[in-house]
Amino acid sequence: MAFRPELMSKVTIAGPKQYMEACISELHKLKAIHIVDHTKDADADIGKPMAKASGLSEALVRIRSICSWLGIKNGKEHTVKSAKEAQKLGHLISSLFHEVKGLLEQSKEIDSKINDNNLLISELRPLADTGLKMEFFSEYRSIAYFAGYTNDAKALAESIKKITGTFSIYGSQNGEGAVAIFIDSKSRDKCAEALREQKFQEINIEKLRQFRGTPNEIISGLERENGGLNAKKEKTHSRFSEIREEHSEELLRAMDFLEKEVEKAEAPLRFAETKSSFVVKGWIPSKNVQTAEEVIAAKTGNRIFFHAGSPEKKDDVPVKLNNPKAVSPFEFFMDLYTMPSYKEIDPTFFIFLSFPILFGFMLGDFGYGLATLALFIMLRKIMPQAKNFFNILIVSSLSTIFFGLLFGEFFGFEEIGHFTLPHILSRSHQIEELLYIAVAIGFIHVNIGLLVGFANEMKSHGFRHAFLAKLSWLVFEAGLVMVFLSMLGIISLSYWFGVGVVLLSAALLFIGEGARGPIEMPGLISNMLSYARLMAIGVSSVKLAEVINEMSGKMFHAGGVMIIVGVLILVFGHAVNIGLGLLGSFLHSLRLHYVEFFTKFFHGGAKKFAPFGEKK
Amino acid sequence: MAVELSVGVIGLASAIAITGSAIAAAWAEKAIGVAAIGAMAEKEELFGKGLILTVIPETIVIFGLVIAILILGLAG
Repeated sequence: MAFRPELMSKVTIAGPKQYMEACISELHKLKAIHIVDHTKDADADIGKPMAKASGLSEALVRIRSICSWLGIKNGKEHTVKSAKEAQKLGHLISSLFHEVKGLLEQSKEIDSKINDNNLLISELRPLADTGLKMEFFSEYRSIAYFAGYTNDAKALAESIKKITGTFSIYGSQNGEGAVAIFIDSKSRDKCAEALREQKFQEINIEKLRQFRGTPNEIISGLERENGGLNAKKEKTHSRFSEIREEHSEELLRAMDFLEKEVEKAEAPLRFAETKSSFVVKGWIPSKNVQTAEEVIAAKTGNRIFFHAGSPEKKDDVPVKLNNPKAVSPFEFFMDLYTMPSYKEIDPTFFIFLSFPILFGFMLGDFGYGLATLALFIMLRKIMPQAKNFFNILIVSSLSTIFFGLLFGEFFGFEEIGHFTLPHILSRSHQIEELLYIAVAIGFIHVNIGLLVGFANEMKSHGFRHAFLAKLSWLVFEAGLVMVFLSMLGIISLSYWFGVGVVLLSAALLFIGEGARGPIEMPGLISNMLSYARLMAIGVSSVKLAEVINEMSGKMFHAGGVMIIVGVLILVFGHAVNIGLGLLGSFLHSLRLHYVEFFTKFFHGGAKKFAPFGEKK
Repeated sequence: MAVELSVGVIGLASAIAITGSAIAAAWAEKAIGVAAIGAMAEKEELFGKGLILTVIPETIVIFGLVIAILILGLAG
């Protein structure tokens, strides 16, 4: 049944440890069991991973590092067929790992050397202005020296003159620049203080003492060295891309294989284990139970205990949605929100019905529908991994085309040439009617939600509760309608009669849902009014299209170069409008489902069925 | 094209209805949206819930729109 998630059986598998590996391997191949992780208790501890697990994980970490270093990304699924192939891949990986790691270290070393050289160059450059060879900056017994920047060389010279007569200054004589000051060593401290006052920035000579010759010579030497280093770096990078091109397919294949093997080797961590036996608990779709039991029995020579039972009320059953192929893309919306719980109705089918209608009603343009249909068919080919999402949009585009015909719109035009497109309702002229229709759609949609809620409550809490909690809302609606009709004089009843029905429904709700029920009563009206957005977004899209058409029309009339501008406005304008329309229609349609529709019946919160062995 | 003063005032009134409610909705959504993005950064599965909470105040502007259309109806 499409309205219920797949039936699940609660499964317990137990057996002696020597059959554990075979059992795991079969379960992994079956991709049918959702394992419930065991937590340590008085009876049994969790299992220990298989002995080979640590080696496998280490290899996996290596592959992942290689892939991340080389920027290789995983795309499609790969399979490793034979043990021989796996061994070959293993050798390849360990040699690649060492090579890539070595290259990476080398490239890092080169980078740091280049950086060091650049730093030295930047420190040497100012010394070049002093015109001194580096030999001058050695250690003297009776001479002290300072090298650095100053803002005002003249003032500096003056202040040193006051301290001692025996000194000489090289470099900049006036204004700012680099200078080297040589003085007798006795005046060193005083001179340092004077320099501080002058805001002199000293260069650290220590590191530069290793060099001989003029700074310019040294700089060009260092630059030559950097050139060589850069060439070396280039070489390592080209080797990287070589490896990437040659081995990326194999690496991905090996990664896939190891991921599976590691999952298998670590599976016992999710089991219960005693000294000589293991127990797996989990869920298997009822239709697969028999095959699973047979396969495991065959591979282990009937040495495994296998028990399947139906879920109990307190069980947290994982949910696998079960919908026909046409509907299943819409399960995307449940993934996005949360899985329905095992007992309740799966809303996917309702979304399948109403999502395209709401979407089409908002975008509702024959031309836009054709354009988006073509776009999404193309995108589905380019991005097959997002197939479900694009299938939803393709169905929605078809609905857009349908509503475009109803509204008689083609890229915002209601007439082409002198031919007026036939329409049932014009969105740009009959705004008020459109509003009423939108709210009427809301009325229907919300009530469907309430009826689904009734069915849900009926199943879980019985008729009395279901009636009080859900059908009271229908009584409330009936009361409201009666009040309006009698006030407008359409039915000849006192409006107090309608008020009475409303009060009755409030009382029923209070019994059914407690104080929350009556408090939420105005919310029902706001929920329905919320569907007015169907009109609002539709009209804004039409009006924007009309403006684009009008603007480009004027350009066409002007003629000449303006025709090009007109074409640009037309193409660009409609592209933007389609983009906005898609975004708005999608999000608002989604919102109407999640907020207005789901709140009437949906609980959700179940875990998604995640079978052991399926790629995450 | 001469428009009567009363028609102009009606137009202005409906504009105020939509402006006020739009600002209110935007203001509310801003605060919720920021919090929702923060929550999603921690836990990506919260996208669905975040989206719902973020768009809840949108109803405010829908009410504004309905009122604006009703006011425009006065102009005939």
